[in-house]
Amino acid sequence: MPLRQKVVFLTIAVVLLLVIVELVRRRRLRVEYSWLWIAAGITPIGLILRYDLLVSLTEEVGAAIPTSTLFFLCILYLAVLSLHYSVRLTELTRQVKELAQEVALLRAERETRNQVGPG
Amino acid sequence: MSRVLVVVPAWNEARNLEAVLTELTRERPDLPVLVVDDGSEDATSSVARTRGAAVVRLPFHLGYGAAVQAGVKRALRLGCDVAVSFDGDGQHDPADIAPLLEAVADGADLAIGSRFLAADAYRGSRGRRAGRALFSAAARVFTGLPLTDPTSGLKALGPEAQRLFALTRFPDRFPDADALVLAARARLRVVERPARMRRSRNRHSMHGGLKAVSYSFNMLASLLVAALGREADLEG
Repeated sequence: MPLRQKVVFLTIAVVLLLVIVELVRRRRLRVEYSWLWIAAGITPIGLILRYDLLVSLTEEVGAAIPTSTLFFLCILYLAVLSLHYSVRLTELTRQVKELAQEVALLRAERETRNQVGPG
Repeated sequence: MSRVLVVVPAWNEARNLEAVLTELTRERPDLPVLVVDDGSEDATSSVARTRGAAVVRLPFHLGYGAAVQAGVKRALRLGCDVAVSFDGDGQHDPADIAPLLEAVADGADLAIGSRFLAADAYRGSRGRRAGRALFSAAARVFTGLPLTDPTSGLKALGPEAQRLFALTRFPDRFPDADALVLAARARLRVVERPARMRRSRNRHSMHGGLKAVSYSFNMLASLLVAALGREADLEG
C-alpha cells in the first residue's frame, strides 16, 4: 500500500474514531451502541497498519483481490448494523405501544374517578 | 351475575359507531361498553361518550390488535370476568354475545363467534373466503383445534384469556389465528359459537389488492412465529 494512501486513509479512520468517542463523551451516542461504531473505526486503522493481514485474510477466504475482501467486509458490517437497528426498532415499537396504551388507560381511570367525585 | 365489559375497537368509525352503540345498548342494556378509540381523527370518542360508553383514547393509531389489547387491559384492571371484543364497524350482531358469555360461564377461556357455524350469514368475497379457508387450515394444523373462523373479531375472553391477550409480546399486529395458536399453546379452552356477520358499512378494508397479499404473508408468518415461539412468550 503506497504511503500516500496510507496517510489519507489513516487520517480518515482516526477522525472517524475521534468523532465516535466524542459523541459518546457528550452522551449523544449511548455507550452500548458505540461498540459497533468503535469497531468500525478501529478495523480500518488495523488493516492500514497491517495490510498483510488483509492480504492473508483474502487468501484465506479465497477472494481474488484484497479490495473485494474489504468491500465484502464493509457490506457485511452494514448488514449487521441494519439488523441491529431493526431489532432495536422492534423493541422501541413495542415500548411505544405499551406506553401509549398505558397513557390511554390512566387517562380513562382518571376520568372515571372524576365522574364519581373527589375522595 | 358476572362482570362483563364489551370492548369496541374503533378507528375513524364515528359514522358507524352511533348505530353500533345504539343497537348494543338496546339489545344488551345490561352490559357496560368500552370504546377504544384507536387514535381517530374524527368524532369517534365524542360519539362514544354521548352514547354512554366509556372511552379509552389511544394517543395515536396503533392498529386493531393493540386497540383490542388496550381494552382487554382495562377489563383486567376492572377485574372483569369476561371481556367481549365487538367490532365498531357494525359487522357484529349484539344477539351473538349471549352464547359467547354462556360458553365462558360453562368453563371456556376463549369463545369465538364463527360465521361458518351460522346458518345464514355474510361470508365475504371469493378472495376473502379463500384467504380465510387458508388461515383456518393453518390454524387447525397449528392449534390442533377444530376452528372454523380463526379471523373472527367477535370473541369472549375469560380471565385466563385476558391475561394472555394483555401480554407484552402478544401478537398485536395480527391478533387472529396466531392469537389462537398462542391460546392453544397456553392450554386455554377455546370454543366456537355461531355468529351472524354482516357486511360492515364503512370498512377501512385491509383485505383488498396488494394489502391482501401482504396481510396473508404476515398472517402466515405470524402463525409460524406463534407456533414456534419460546415458552417465555406465554409469560412475560
